[in-house]
Amino acid sequence: MPLINFAAREINYKIVYYGCGLCGKTTNLQYIHRKINPDARGKLVSIATEEERTLYFDFLPLTLGTVKGMQTRFHLYTVPGQSYYNASRKLVLQGVDGVIFVADSQITRLDENVESYLNLWDNLLGQGDDLSKLGFVIQMNKRDLTDIFSVEDLNELLNHTDSPVAESSAVTGEGVFETLKVVCKQVIAKTG
Amino acid sequence: MARRKGLVINDRQLDRCDDLLQKLKDVSGSSFLALISTSGQPITTASDEYHPETLSLASLAASSFAATQQLAKILDENEFTLLFHEGKGLNLHVSQVTDQVLLIVTFGHATQVGKVRLYTQRAIEVLRQIFEGPDDETMPEMDADFEAAAGTAMDDLFKDM
Repeated sequence: MPLINFAAREINYKIVYYGCGLCGKTTNLQYIHRKINPDARGKLVSIATEEERTLYFDFLPLTLGTVKGMQTRFHLYTVPGQSYYNASRKLVLQGVDGVIFVADSQITRLDENVESYLNLWDNLLGQGDDLSKLGFVIQMNKRDLTDIFSVEDLNELLNHTDSPVAESSAVTGEGVFETLKVVCKQVIAKTG
Repeated sequence: MARRKGLVINDRQLDRCDDLLQKLKDVSGSSFLALISTSGQPITTASDEYHPETLSLASLAASSFAATQQLAKILDENEFTLLFHEGKGLNLHVSQVTDQVLLIVTFGHATQVGKVRLYTQRAIEVLRQIFEGPDDETMPEMDADFEAAAGTAMDDLFKDM
């Protein structure tokens, strides 16, 4: 549900990074903020605890520039990953156009990944969205670590919608922009 | 299910909103006003000299307001329809216009809270008609080539990353 302001010639899309605690959602945003042309981004806003764990959300606006006369923006959000912050996650999901589910590839994080994935679909269904209009990408993060699932195994465990998959290491930046590009193109194609 | 209505604003609606915000600013003595969507995106603003960072402000105000609504539910209150923060030099007033639109008003101590609340409430009644009332103007459509052009713009923005 993008905000299309024909009068001001603006269109805004909302993209949410979802996933379990410490999977790399905030690291994705920090990398984008660090690397992208400063003219194309706004301020990175983080509502975090003293231990730098996301308490509510991180927010980073990106400007694509003027496309066919429309100033086009993507508003990137993360959710708090820890399971007891579900009320906050639901609020961040309101009005979402596209979701990047960040999966922690480490074998030891399987339960947290599955719990977060199921929680995402519960919350999306709970807010009554037409999910066929939603952009969705699974980012398999931390591919640079050892003791990780294969892409095929993670795909079977977490991708019941047969959605696009991207491999990444948010710490080094590998795959971060590729993931973002896929979901941005999806939301434009799906919502116009 | 299948609830995915976007918020689309046409020229006439925006002109009426801009006029109204300007009047509200003048009569209430407020310094900055913004209409934003409940998902945190700015629609339009009215200001003379004071220009806060609008994108972050919209995102934080919408989230804060949504959290307030949830607090109301937890407290078995039907709804909290406004959010008010009092500062040393500046006050912030956020109120609900429709299910999809919020109104942000900031004002200093040169005016009174009661005055701002009174005029804001009156303005909201008119704003509600603008967003919810029938509008004869046909909504324009997105350029057919928008998707392809946006794809090219994205390739340019993200190249070499």
